[in-house]
Amino acid sequence: VTSVARPEASVSLRNDGRTRPFTRILIANRGEIALRIIRTCRDLGVEAVAVFSDADVDAAHVTAADAAVRLGPAPARESYLRADAIVDAALSTGAEAIHPGYGFLSERASFARAVTDAGLVFIGPRATAIDALGDKLAARRTAVAADVPVVPGTFEPAAVDRADDLDAIVAAAERIGFPLLVKAAAGGGGRGMRRVGSATELPAALAGGSTEAHAAFGDGSVYLEREIRPARHIEVQLLGDEGGEIVALGERDCSIQRRHQKLIEESPAPGLSAAERADLHAMAVRAARAADLHSAATAEFLFDPDRQFWFLEVNARLQVEHGVTELVTDLDLVAEQLWIAAGAPLSAAVRAAATASTAIESMASASAPGRHAIEVRLAAEDPASDFAPMPGRVGDWLMPSGPGVRVDSAVRPGDRVPPDYDPLIAKILTVGRDRRSALRRMRRALDEIVVTGIQTTLPFDRALVRDAAFADDEGALLSTDWVAERWDGAADRARAAEGAAAVAAGIGPAVARASLHRDDGTRSGWRAAARQAMTERWPR
Amino acid sequence: MIVRVTPSPAAARPGDAPRTVDASTAVPSGHRVRVGHHGPADPAGRRTVEVVVDGWRFEFVVEDEARAALRARASRDRDPFGGAGGPLEIHAIIPGRVASVAVAPGDHVQAGQTLLAVEAMKMQNELRAPRAGTVTRVAARSGSTVEVGDVLVVIE
Repeated sequence: VTSVARPEASVSLRNDGRTRPFTRILIANRGEIALRIIRTCRDLGVEAVAVFSDADVDAAHVTAADAAVRLGPAPARESYLRADAIVDAALSTGAEAIHPGYGFLSERASFARAVTDAGLVFIGPRATAIDALGDKLAARRTAVAADVPVVPGTFEPAAVDRADDLDAIVAAAERIGFPLLVKAAAGGGGRGMRRVGSATELPAALAGGSTEAHAAFGDGSVYLEREIRPARHIEVQLLGDEGGEIVALGERDCSIQRRHQKLIEESPAPGLSAAERADLHAMAVRAARAADLHSAATAEFLFDPDRQFWFLEVNARLQVEHGVTELVTDLDLVAEQLWIAAGAPLSAAVRAAATASTAIESMASASAPGRHAIEVRLAAEDPASDFAPMPGRVGDWLMPSGPGVRVDSAVRPGDRVPPDYDPLIAKILTVGRDRRSALRRMRRALDEIVVTGIQTTLPFDRALVRDAAFADDEGALLSTDWVAERWDGAADRARAAEGAAAVAAGIGPAVARASLHRDDGTRSGWRAAARQAMTERWPR
Repeated sequence: MIVRVTPSPAAARPGDAPRTVDASTAVPSGHRVRVGHHGPADPAGRRTVEVVVDGWRFEFVVEDEARAALRARASRDRDPFGGAGGPLEIHAIIPGRVASVAVAPGDHVQAGQTLLAVEAMKMQNELRAPRAGTVTRVAARSGSTVEVGDVLVVIE
């Protein structure tokens, strides 16, 4: 691809073929992120090719695309993880580039390489950079070389099965201090991770973590890291061009997690001083530059109670939670990724947003109004049963709207949420001039949601945004331990059960056979009458 | 009218119990309520009703209390939430693939013992025996696909 001159804002993108980054791209993903990328394609006048498995034949991302190619049966390894079939689909439909989204093949260097080897453009970092950052140990060494403080720990794979090396690893563990974590070098999502309270637990944790890591990633390498707890999880959005210019577009606080999965994200991170924010952004940019990174990526840090940042890792892809950064900066990160992949330099808008995001004070003042955005994840999970997955067929599906609300979802009323993929079904985002207004909007937005047919995490999300600890503007009580400390799903559900039973009783049991003709249970007058009779009280 | 409201096996959680409710009771205040699907009554006069309150989804079988009591007396062991001595059907509460089956017909199981594991959305979910008994039927095979409400194991 030759260098592309980026059009000025006044040039119509849709009417001039030469003023769009590509003519046609393929999106190697499904669900809300595939639909979100297709929307940007439409905005830019780029044609979108979707791919789908047999579970997604009628899915929203397939309907929205200009063309769609079947990959295979429902299981991901037979469809969305088939790099060869995806590259073939791009070639056969004339797509010039492939956007991997997040998850699936997005962070596999071999896929990025296969795409470029086929003469196509990979919309993401170079394969060499993905490789270097995918290995957490290599990423830690890169960060240290860039003068970025990393979580204290080891920098080479631990010997897990050689007794003569055990003394060395125990000595290393003593230097790091207990409790510590055994982590997978190829890891992510908490797999291969073990918490170790004392030296005697170490051999078993190393062996167990290594076995699990090997099963999950095909690589059993593990290393040690000090457990920093309590801690906040704060990450920096990075955007870089092929020429090597790279900027930080603000940070996101993702401290509310469960089993190392993020549940809620916001930007900017509450309670950071201007100096802390500038320092954080500079560290992230240094680490990214050292890793030869471009396109969109995220550097993750822990923030401890002594207000020290510790580098965790870099994710070389678009994140699930990129939308909060978009609401704060007014940028379309996917559009920026497309322009960058087409060879364009960082736009003036990106550079201006980067400068502004580093300069902001944590609390907007009347003289300098700011923006604050929050994202809540709605998942098909049961928050009363340890967040067990709850796929199934959706009945009613009403999502919030109105001022300051954005919903990223690919679910429609009556859709089946398949058991084969991630349980995320919608991302609810709100933006306001400060944290309080964004949070108030989120409470309102969640109260507008109606989902029947499947259990979702809505009760948990509603409780979370009402919790006093979360409402604290300085973020002092935010912690990665929040869910374990403050959520009792069974008790919350039991409170709702009584009211629900009363409502069901009010609907009543049988009706006389004579009236069955208008009692089909779906769109009948009976149902309408029952609805009318129900007390609908909004919101609590 | 007095009605019996029984959690439907397809959506019940451990510990959910039938309630006897006066249908004229006012809906408690402070609840955000949505009535989902509710089909016609079956020949026995039972109706399945879906209700979502504050984001929690419930599915109940609603029937006239007098009829419910009569029926319970007639076949005490038919209703999985009725008599403690009758056969107990363990239903799939999530769709997915059966990852492993830990019991066979004839096995004696304790309350809380793992019966089988269903895999969905990259996570494994173990189904445990709600009470002690003898396994009389195993309706699921490892690797088979199950839908919500499918009978997986019967304990007597």
